[in-house]
Amino acid sequence: MTSTTVYIAGVGIISALGSGFAETEKTLRANRSAIKPLTLFSLLQGTPLPVGQVDVDGLDLPSALPRTHSLALLAAGQAMAGGNHPPDAVIIGTTTGGIATTEQLLRNAEPNKELYRYHGLNTVAQYVGRELGCSGPALTVSTACSSGAVAIALGMAMLRAGQARTVLVGGVDSLSRLTYFGFHSLQLVDRNGCRPLDANRQGLAVAEGAGMLLLTTIQPDQPRAELLGTGLSCDAYHAAAPHPEGQGAFMAMQNALADAGLHPEDISYINLHGTGTPDNDLAEAKAVRRLFAVPPPLSSIKGASGHSLAAAGGVEAVVSVMAISQGLMPANTGLQQVDPALGLMPLISPVEGPVKAVLSNSFGFGGNNGSLVIGAPGACVQQSSARPCGVLAIHGYACLSGAGNTGATMERINCGASAAGMAELAQISENLPPQLIRRLKRLPRMTLSLAVMAHQNSGFDAQKPGSIFMGTGWGALSETHDFLTRLNSSKEQFPSPTDFVGSVHNGPASQVAIMFGAMGANITASGGDYSFEQALLAADLMYHDGERPALILGADEGHAAFSPLLDASIATGSALADGGGAFAVSRTTKGAKCGMAIPFFASCEKNAVIEQLIASLASSKEWQSRYALVLVGIPAAMEGQGEKQLDHFKALAQLSAPLIRYRKLTGEFASASAVAAAFAASFLERGLVPGAFVGGMDIVLNWSQNTILVLGFGQNITAMELFKPSEKNT
Amino acid sequence: MRQLIEELKVKLIDILNLQDITPDKFDENGQLVGGELGIDSIDVLEMVVMVEKDYGIIINNQEVGEKVFSSLASLARYIKENSSKASS
Repeated sequence: MTSTTVYIAGVGIISALGSGFAETEKTLRANRSAIKPLTLFSLLQGTPLPVGQVDVDGLDLPSALPRTHSLALLAAGQAMAGGNHPPDAVIIGTTTGGIATTEQLLRNAEPNKELYRYHGLNTVAQYVGRELGCSGPALTVSTACSSGAVAIALGMAMLRAGQARTVLVGGVDSLSRLTYFGFHSLQLVDRNGCRPLDANRQGLAVAEGAGMLLLTTIQPDQPRAELLGTGLSCDAYHAAAPHPEGQGAFMAMQNALADAGLHPEDISYINLHGTGTPDNDLAEAKAVRRLFAVPPPLSSIKGASGHSLAAAGGVEAVVSVMAISQGLMPANTGLQQVDPALGLMPLISPVEGPVKAVLSNSFGFGGNNGSLVIGAPGACVQQSSARPCGVLAIHGYACLSGAGNTGATMERINCGASAAGMAELAQISENLPPQLIRRLKRLPRMTLSLAVMAHQNSGFDAQKPGSIFMGTGWGALSETHDFLTRLNSSKEQFPSPTDFVGSVHNGPASQVAIMFGAMGANITASGGDYSFEQALLAADLMYHDGERPALILGADEGHAAFSPLLDASIATGSALADGGGAFAVSRTTKGAKCGMAIPFFASCEKNAVIEQLIASLASSKEWQSRYALVLVGIPAAMEGQGEKQLDHFKALAQLSAPLIRYRKLTGEFASASAVAAAFAASFLERGLVPGAFVGGMDIVLNWSQNTILVLGFGQNITAMELFKPSEKNT
Repeated sequence: MRQLIEELKVKLIDILNLQDITPDKFDENGQLVGGELGIDSIDVLEMVVMVEKDYGIIINNQEVGEKVFSSLASLARYIKENSSKASS
């Protein structure tokens, strides 16, 4: 195993501190707080709270493009400056997407769904990818306030796996009513600004911004820095509060150091998450003291910038690069009297000096943690780290549909009937303890129910899953809808803290982690109609726990008001459908029901994309005869383009296996492909594809005809394979 | 006071969606937060909103909050004391 050096070839940063590297450096050198009362939108009552607002001309052009998208492109443009080639992939962490625009449209009761087209989180990465001319995967990570750091970690895994040679990674979020009032409803906002680590700190300042890095394995002439290692973990403790001892924070930092092959004493500076909330700063301090016998110089910049949520991981990765390239360790702005309970000595003013390696922390709701280690070029020898190996072996699977649970769904599917619809809430909650789910609405209940079913089906029993990979196109629509509705109906007076906490896209996966005590990587991908495929891609790159199994899930809820408004594939007035699929996997095929892989994921704009799809499948001369069945997903909104792509595929591939359009059976919803994958797993377990399903004879699955192909067309072209484990694959 | 306590029992069961309890089984002197009902910090904030909305009383101090929400009876007392202050 050879080590792969990951260089940081370019950086982009825009935040309350300024736009660009130089401006940001100037503000940090001045140790000046950029936190000021909100002016971005008007309030119905009360004085505006202090926020970290970006103050740059041209951000709010009269276009349909949300502020998040504009911020992302500005930072991406900076990171790409000087480069002639588009990146092979784009991976962006975000929690807000187009919500700020959607809020305004909803206030005006705007019925034209065309105007909501940038609502989805995935549209940020797609927009940036398209503007940069990237035709590879544009992936979206949404793990609350660690999104940016987790996106960077995923990018590094992709480079190390050799799936890309350049990846643009980072995080972005804009201010919105959802986050402004949401954190306020949790009483986590300090009315006096933000004073991380201070004895009198009273909370954070909600902020916005974007931080992007161009990562590459091709040695640049002048690399800014190197990304040495990344570490992920999940507290598996509470939906919003950190683990009181900082257990998850400790593990993320420890994992990042191990991944970089460094020891605590190799770290020259720690960029703390340091939000300024009493609980976060205390938990983080405990974790730092546990890992570092003598902590190096450290500080949080959030007293200057505020907390830019998903952007923070990207913004602070760029600040870490600055620490290295400019020899500047920024101050813990806003600090007056350090909290003696923390046992730390943060920098009270900026310090200049050589910086070899920086540890940067990002922690989020749901206990989703990400730490990064960034080093000076050539200063540290990059270690070869553990890489995932072996196939993803499915030991248990489950699905939910309008018909109900796996058994009820497959009963219909095996007869060739449709399972589309929405199951009753009671039905999707029947295997869950009432106290656990009393605060949970539709999506987290479906997700938990799927997780329980897949785990039970696996026979792993006491061996509980340790890592969770979730895909959801739209996240918790009920919670988001109810939060905004109550915010408006109460004239901004009584937003619901419960709905705010529930509205984050990673809420469902963090509930699964809490239920199973899963403290490993916990990633939620939000890739529109390709969300489950993105979760599978993330699992394939990031799951290498030899001890504990993982869960890979995909689910979306149908929502009467939001689904027809936001999802272009759902016509107004049409019957809603929802559901999902879940898979309990390990890296050993012994006793597995089948294996799962994702050989292809690209934008439809890629040159000769169908030819490349086929090249990714044609591993041997007899590749066509491997397939017993092809399940094809074309989102209704992409019907015309998708049909052409399918015809092109059929003409080139010349497969004899029957092609079935699965959205006719699942109904239209973003993660329908997760349900289709569960159909495939069920057929493979039975050893045959029922004749009624394909409108012909039963198809027997044997050692030669052993694979079911699940294709996605439309905006992206994707291929998943589920196959009987053979000796070749073990 | 009795009436306020009964009223609060119904409200808490409703807004916190408490599943395993009925108003007649609700022990107003039992531990409210962190007890058997599984009530946590997010529920406390939801109750803070309810108290402000329905009784016009603002609780934005963690220390006060901890005392007020120690039991349903103490919540009722706090509401009674502060609403009479407001009206007198």
